[in-house]
Amino acid sequence: MSYIISFRLCAIYYCPMENDLLFQFINVNLQVDDFEILNGLNFNICKGEFVAVIGASGAGKSSLLRMFNALTSPSSGEITFRGIGIDADIQALRKNVGVLFQNPVVFNGTVRENLLIAGRWDQNISQTLDHEILSALDQVGLGDTKLTHHARDLSGGEQQRLALARTLLNHPHVLLLDEPTSNLDPKLAREIMDQIEELREALNLTIIAVSHDHMLMRRYAKRVIILAHGKIIGDGDFKTLDKSQAFEDAGLLKNEVKDAT
Amino acid sequence: MRPDFYVLSWNDLLVSLLFIAFSLFLIKKWKLGLENTLLIGTLRTFVQLTLMGYVLTWFFDQQHWAFMLMLLFLMIVIASYEGTRRQKHEIPHFFPAMLVALLGSAFLILGTILLFILDVEPWYSPYAAIPIGGMIIGNGLNSTALTANRFVGEMKHREREIETLLALGATPKLAVYDAMKTSIHAALIPNINAMMTVGLVQLPGVMTGQILAGIDPIIAVRYQIMIMYMWFTTATLANMIMLAIVYRQYFTSKLQLRRELLREIS
Repeated sequence: MSYIISFRLCAIYYCPMENDLLFQFINVNLQVDDFEILNGLNFNICKGEFVAVIGASGAGKSSLLRMFNALTSPSSGEITFRGIGIDADIQALRKNVGVLFQNPVVFNGTVRENLLIAGRWDQNISQTLDHEILSALDQVGLGDTKLTHHARDLSGGEQQRLALARTLLNHPHVLLLDEPTSNLDPKLAREIMDQIEELREALNLTIIAVSHDHMLMRRYAKRVIILAHGKIIGDGDFKTLDKSQAFEDAGLLKNEVKDAT
Repeated sequence: MRPDFYVLSWNDLLVSLLFIAFSLFLIKKWKLGLENTLLIGTLRTFVQLTLMGYVLTWFFDQQHWAFMLMLLFLMIVIASYEGTRRQKHEIPHFFPAMLVALLGSAFLILGTILLFILDVEPWYSPYAAIPIGGMIIGNGLNSTALTANRFVGEMKHREREIETLLALGATPKLAVYDAMKTSIHAALIPNINAMMTVGLVQLPGVMTGQILAGIDPIIAVRYQIMIMYMWFTTATLANMIMLAIVYRQYFTSKLQLRRELLREIS
């Protein structure tokens, strides 16, 4: 019954202008070893949006996020990026669609080496001047970090910022966030999310963030997609969905919602 | 005075059975329960090597390039199978990868030795091709089998690292570069160490054998030097060919890491 109610909250989301359509998911399914992870996903993502994908653990959030930069491909269905099949040019797509993982990978070496790791295959990055690197560090709030510091000596929050700066050197238009702050304390999590929101405005980024923490997400995201058991059971703004059962159906407690508002 | 030859007769060989008898005695005394296994091993060593001796003699008598190439190919097939068997985890298409790696390195290195270093006449003389080929194949097998195991372990260990690099726009080859480097290092460093200490700590088997068979140590040493260089190059080349094939098995055509293959690795 509740699924039927929720279904009405998933009206197809149109972008204000046709050119603004960034991602389109058409009947996307993902099956791994007979196990259905994502089921019949249909939605659009528009340029400049900050979309939160919310759901309990095991709902398929991370699998969904991995599809935006083609780290995972759907078993059936179609995904387009700017109107063309998402796997037309995967390397170009991945430079365009950066990702920040839950536990950032910091490579053995200095901060500078970490930032220039993409210089191994990208001429543009290997020629990146120090002032560009410093400006990237500045953008993520690591301005006073020495480039010669050993990257693995940085704190958890600093490593996350370093990973963000590394992604920014690719000049992405989309940023994917996979529970980027779940290992940080609430104050630090807020700081990093504020930084990301600033970046979104400054660089006109589109942000898709996966999280189980919808209290944090509702501060930043205008739109929320609620996933439960691999299906979208809610897609819209927080206020509209708060009036529905969708959060509860997704296994997220109602009192959490009340606390946050 | 240097003896010309030490000939080992069948009777002499019987005396060497005393070694086994002595081991049996020790094993029994300590109640290790290995008597039957040891007896089977002793018998198999004798039967297999004796048969091999006759087979080799027959092959050597053929004096035909096709026979020599056939025997080498057979050795490579067996070595590739053995390499596959030694993997802790199943690597997709590992047998053909080994086959190509061993064929490639044996062809190049054995060819160079027969044609340009030893100037063997005729080039397919099995007296040179089979033992040197055997060393190349054996060494290639040991090295690649080890590297492959290590490489797969490194991939598992660096799964997130590899995906981070892919996500930054790297090709699969660049994403696994560090894993390849570490596993090749692990395979080649023992070879380099052997080159550092050879002659100081141990006398290599080939050299010892040649000296026992009456060859001038100065000549035996030259052979050994060539063999050391040959070993290193075989290991390098075979590992690179094998890894170039193997790493591709872990990625899809869409530049995605096949994580399901790594999940089975402990």
